[in-house]
Amino acid sequence: MRLNEEMTDLIQTLGAGLLIGCVYGLLGLGIVIIFRASEAFNFAIGEFLVVGSFLFYIFFFDLHLPFLLALPLGLLAAGAMGAIIERLSIKPLLGRSALSMTIITLGLASVLRSSVQLIFGAHSYSFSLELPDTSLEFGSLLFPSERVWAGLLSVVTFGFILFFLFRTRWGVAIRATSESQAKAMAFGIDARFILLMVWALSSMCIAVAGVMISNFGALSFLTGIAGLRAIPVVLIGGMDSIGGALIGGLIVGLCEALVGSYIEPLGLVGFKDVAPYLLLLIVLFIRPYGLFGTVRIERV
Amino acid sequence: MKGRLFIIGIMLLGIVLILPSAASFAKPIKVLAQFPMSGPVGSLPEFGWGFIDGMNYINAKGGVNGQAITYFVEDMRYSPTVEVANFTRYAAAEKRDEFILASGYITGGLKPLIDKVNKEERIPWLDGSYSTEVFGPGGGPSKYPYYYSLGATYGDQMRVLLNWIKEDSKGKGKVAIVYSPTEWGRDPLEVTRAHAKKIGLQIVAEEEYAYTATDATSQVTNIRKAKGDYVIYHGYSAAPTHTAIFMKTARQYLKKATLLGTHYTTGPYMILTCGKAADGMVGVSCRPQGDDLTNPMVKMSHEFADKYKRKDGIKDMFLYMEGLTYALMFHEVLTRADTAKELTREGVKKALDNLVWDYHGVFGGRGFSYKSHTIPMVRTYRCKVEKEVEQAGKKVAVGTWTPISPWINTDIELK
Repeated sequence: MRLNEEMTDLIQTLGAGLLIGCVYGLLGLGIVIIFRASEAFNFAIGEFLVVGSFLFYIFFFDLHLPFLLALPLGLLAAGAMGAIIERLSIKPLLGRSALSMTIITLGLASVLRSSVQLIFGAHSYSFSLELPDTSLEFGSLLFPSERVWAGLLSVVTFGFILFFLFRTRWGVAIRATSESQAKAMAFGIDARFILLMVWALSSMCIAVAGVMISNFGALSFLTGIAGLRAIPVVLIGGMDSIGGALIGGLIVGLCEALVGSYIEPLGLVGFKDVAPYLLLLIVLFIRPYGLFGTVRIERV
Repeated sequence: MKGRLFIIGIMLLGIVLILPSAASFAKPIKVLAQFPMSGPVGSLPEFGWGFIDGMNYINAKGGVNGQAITYFVEDMRYSPTVEVANFTRYAAAEKRDEFILASGYITGGLKPLIDKVNKEERIPWLDGSYSTEVFGPGGGPSKYPYYYSLGATYGDQMRVLLNWIKEDSKGKGKVAIVYSPTEWGRDPLEVTRAHAKKIGLQIVAEEEYAYTATDATSQVTNIRKAKGDYVIYHGYSAAPTHTAIFMKTARQYLKKATLLGTHYTTGPYMILTCGKAADGMVGVSCRPQGDDLTNPMVKMSHEFADKYKRKDGIKDMFLYMEGLTYALMFHEVLTRADTAKELTREGVKKALDNLVWDYHGVFGGRGFSYKSHTIPMVRTYRCKVEKEVEQAGKKVAVGTWTPISPWINTDIELK
């Protein structure tokens, strides 16, 4: 009986970790596709998450469009925002080091955060999508509907991005640019446009994750804190590995859930927030480029 | 002789002419109020509006026995550092005999100011913190003579909740506490454990819940494992998104449990951000609800909001009322000190220490004494979320917090 209960708890914990891990994986993907194309790390991911969620909010809650219409429109708007930001802040830095682009994203985070507070205020917005009930309940096992939807939508979005990258001509162009901007341009690929497209795609991924996370509770400019989860995700999975982003997301999700359920109750209160970073340190000691990152040999 | 008489006459005339305007020569009365109007708790300008409108009204009515109050309002952005810096700036810039009363709003600000306020400046300090550590049995007037809280301590709020749980569960309730990893969150834990033990209730789980949370599943499943059926949520206000995450998750996993909260969760924000998940929640509050128009202070707040054209901008009447109550408290103690001809920091402290007042009827006509340096009044409410309605094109949950107890004076009734 006791064993049964413990097994149920374990399945509950693992399931919850995997579902939230899918969302983290999507956040990681948003970072990875930009990193692959430009070697820049987007530190404004939290703010992209908030802006994307608010754009969806406008279509769904303010304009009362049905979810199936509001989501693509919200994502398109998020993509357009990403493209505009790329044109205004990243494109002028083409040819400069990736570090300068990364630093720009730090400033961008500040500007976006303040803009959101200015436009939408700093209070929380009620955010309940009320999608068809997909709760999974077996005995004392429960996976609430919004968690299941979050996992499903994240996996579907991940699938779309993979399809786009590996089965379309644009995807080939993006991958070619990721390999070498100079060579891609020599083959007639417009690397500047590709970079714009990559930022748009990344913004859309992050927006999906943002909508799902907001649906767990509410939406405010503080929701952006969730974007920080992407850091251990991509560093564990590998900065340039798309599959690594998903695996990294699942690892971080599982790590948080297991620590929250089994280690924190032992008295290590607050360890849940630290554990992914501790795991990250261990991974980096063993594999400095992450679990699936490309090993680069730099000759000095 | 005539010449002397003439000079004396001129001097007397001068005195007669000057006397009516003597008040304008009296030393100014300067006060500082600090509220969290921006920052991590959200955008809450209502605090400042309430205080400013209250002060303007008081000054228009003659201020303190005919003399206007010079007031400074600062946004401390819910940051102890900002609060401390603001106070330090005013304390350095203003004269001690003019700057005689100050207020703050955060426990984290009270602590670094302990020596500055209580030993160096010796200025009465009113605070929105209900810290048990500062205002409870381990602190209080003997340790921090110049600190005053405008509510009952979190420890006392928890004791009231535990008493309610005991009554509701007939002594069988299993209590879980979820708290923020902050001084605020951890503040009442010791008192809560001791009181639960004293009244025979079992605390089966204590869960720390970070503000970075995207998920509360592990906390609620731990509570479910421990079979907690009364869950007290403390250390966050109702406004931030992680409160909504916790409430929604708890409502799904702990279907039969009663969710409870302390002062800053018991208000309309809980309904606005958590919607149906807030239905049935029980909370304690140190103030009446902003829609209770039978309460004279609430009625006054609504009248002020109308008079000063604030109604459209107010999201939560509680916040506006809170600013107003500070202004009214400032006015009351300054007037009492002035009437006692001791309009100094010490005089204001004496007025506060001896204050026995009904605070414009805010506690349903019950008075309180400020001897404990807290306003020891709380009331228990239950939340009822009735429906969701369209407001300005948005679906908004509508509900009420209904009192389920009379006002409780914790200094008297919890002894």
